[in-house]
Amino acid sequence: MDSNSQASGWSRRRFIQASAGLTVLIACGKSAKETGGGATDVTSTLVQPSKKLSGDLKILQWSHFVPRHDKWFDPWAADWGRQVGVNVTVDHIGLADIPARAAAEFSANEGHDLIEFLSPPAAFEPSVLDLSDLNQEAEKRFGKQLALCTRSTYNPTTKKYYGFCHGWVPDPGDYRKSMWEKVGLPNGPTTYQELLDVGGRIKREQGVQLGIGMSNELDSNMAARAIIWSFGGSIQDDRENVVFNSPQTIEAVDYMARLFKATMTDEVFAWNAASNNQGLIAGSLSYILNSISAYRTAQTASPDVANDVFFTPPLKGPRGVALASEHVIPIYVIPKHAKNPDAAREFILNLVANYAQATNNSELYTFPAFAQTVPQLNGWLENDPYGSQPANKLAFLKDAEKWSTTIGHPGPANAAIGEIFDTFILAKMMARAARGELSARDAVIDAENQIKPIFQRWRERGLVGGKP
Amino acid sequence: MSAVRATRRRRYLFDRDGVLAPMMLLPSVVYIVALVAVPFFLAIAYSLSDVTVGDPSFDYVGLRNFRAVLKDPVFRRSLTNSIFITAVTMVLVLVLAKILALVLTRDFRGKWGVRFLILLPWTTPVPLAAIAWLWMLDSLFSPIDWTLRRLGLLEGNLHWLGNSKLAVASVITVQVWRIVPLAAVIIMAGLAAIPQDINDAAEVDGAGFWRKLFEITIPLTLPVTAVATLFGAVLVFTDMSVVYVLTRGGPVDATQILPTWAFFRGIQGGDLAQGAAVALFLFPLLLAMAVLILRSVRRMEVL
Repeated sequence: MDSNSQASGWSRRRFIQASAGLTVLIACGKSAKETGGGATDVTSTLVQPSKKLSGDLKILQWSHFVPRHDKWFDPWAADWGRQVGVNVTVDHIGLADIPARAAAEFSANEGHDLIEFLSPPAAFEPSVLDLSDLNQEAEKRFGKQLALCTRSTYNPTTKKYYGFCHGWVPDPGDYRKSMWEKVGLPNGPTTYQELLDVGGRIKREQGVQLGIGMSNELDSNMAARAIIWSFGGSIQDDRENVVFNSPQTIEAVDYMARLFKATMTDEVFAWNAASNNQGLIAGSLSYILNSISAYRTAQTASPDVANDVFFTPPLKGPRGVALASEHVIPIYVIPKHAKNPDAAREFILNLVANYAQATNNSELYTFPAFAQTVPQLNGWLENDPYGSQPANKLAFLKDAEKWSTTIGHPGPANAAIGEIFDTFILAKMMARAARGELSARDAVIDAENQIKPIFQRWRERGLVGGKP
Repeated sequence: MSAVRATRRRRYLFDRDGVLAPMMLLPSVVYIVALVAVPFFLAIAYSLSDVTVGDPSFDYVGLRNFRAVLKDPVFRRSLTNSIFITAVTMVLVLVLAKILALVLTRDFRGKWGVRFLILLPWTTPVPLAAIAWLWMLDSLFSPIDWTLRRLGLLEGNLHWLGNSKLAVASVITVQVWRIVPLAAVIIMAGLAAIPQDINDAAEVDGAGFWRKLFEITIPLTLPVTAVATLFGAVLVFTDMSVVYVLTRGGPVDATQILPTWAFFRGIQGGDLAQGAAVALFLFPLLLAMAVLILRSVRRMEVL
């Protein structure tokens, strides 16, 4: 072994030196990939538990899109545990794996004490603790919770909080300024009609398409909802009655079919959640609907591209309505099988009290559910601590709450809405019309035929209100 | 003295077929009961109930879930797709594996290296292979499109996974790619078992390559080929990784198959009872395949 390595000029000492050097280089490379900067005006607070805590607290949550967040969160959670006498373990899994993992744990009746979902987990209500007390306590301490967060965790039919929403993520439009400048709209589109007219022009003149997905994935789901709401349609009304088949919904679907023909190609039917990010950064898409994650990725991977990425609030529909869905909405549930629910409750309260750190370490990706916990937010958006050029590029997000809503809009995000969301019925409906398989009217009827039985089943289980 | 007697008694015990045989079989039986029988009967129970991911309480609802599933156009599409994709995949696998097996049983330089490379797809974990194919078929960065553009055969991109027909073709291609090595190895074993004197006698009688192929090789390897085909069919029919990673059933439901639809309906959508009902439709078809496999094996034993 030794003779061989020496013969090839590699002593053990040299091998170790080289390995160490390589490790340092990789570490430097990794840290260089993170967006620089970060806010400095953030302090840490310890919320004293209302009772003596002990034992283990096991948390299951997603691997955050922004790696910096998890690097902060895990030691922070462990540190909280040390201070209050609890041994905290945080397990991260991919966003798409959460429902399956949670289903397995609920089925086995054991697992983590806290599980974080990224969309409203209303279907799990019978197996989780009612968190009404926790939500009331949080409002007492931190002020009113944002309505879109409450509507994502409160079931008005059973009058229970099946979860605790601690934050939310806005879902604006992202566009390449250089492309829109050439057609006289440096600030991007403001209406869906403009998106159709000018987006088509960009495709014809610059050969670059729009990137609004109609695939079985998260962003397509959000886009379909945003367009339907902005045209005045919705799946349900505020009392959970199905009102999907309306002239407004048909108009929205017809618009999407025309938008596809004028501005897009078949690739939007096969996208995954990362595809539109990749396309925007590669310069192959002029406009997408997404969170700021694509932009943050570009800031590290390709700063020139990042400097060309700008944002729009949701576009106005034909009657002036402009709404977007939350992009993802982190919601904790405490399963009935949790072994340490007291520690789970106290952990959540402590997280909310320190939400400025969460928002900062998510690089302003996650916004607080309780606005007063991050008083610095508007200042950060005016002067991005993560180096946006110009510094106020994200300032438009200051009023994001006004144009954002929950996936159940205008009603609650109930279990039926969740199943419709997770089986991609609206994204597929848009695709059917866009591909010419069905007319807009028939695509809506086809989707309604799937939606109504879903509502009916969850009503029979007592989890959804409204009339059959 | 008593220790010696105990050892002898134990030895006699293990010498008895009635004791040793069940003991040797026990691990397999436990494995099959725990990982096949229990989930299977659990799925039947779920499909007759209103159980959801968040509410495991069991209320009997009869055949309501099956009636709902049969009315669902996505289910019907998934069933058709499952059968179509499996059938086309296995026809291609049969032809390609046979050719490959014939080539690999010949002597040529670097044969073992080629055998190793051909077996690689089978050793690659399915989700990992599917992710690699996802990049190969990417709408923007597909190296296949790039090559075709370089050769002047294509302008723009093909959008492999965005076009219904190309998406189905892509799923079939990936399944063929991963199943062919297994089928080829099984058929190679069959080819190796053909007595050389039969081929020699045929050559003496003046039989050429095609005559030997159709009158000796194919008939004598038919049972083992059937086994390879049916094993492959079971693997393709029950696999959800390839479709889940490549298309998640899209575009629309063009590549939706029973395993993915059961997953989306039961786990993602939360309606575990309907998901179980969808998954159970795999059973009669798998049962038919299993019967065919066993009959082929028996025929092989007779031969």
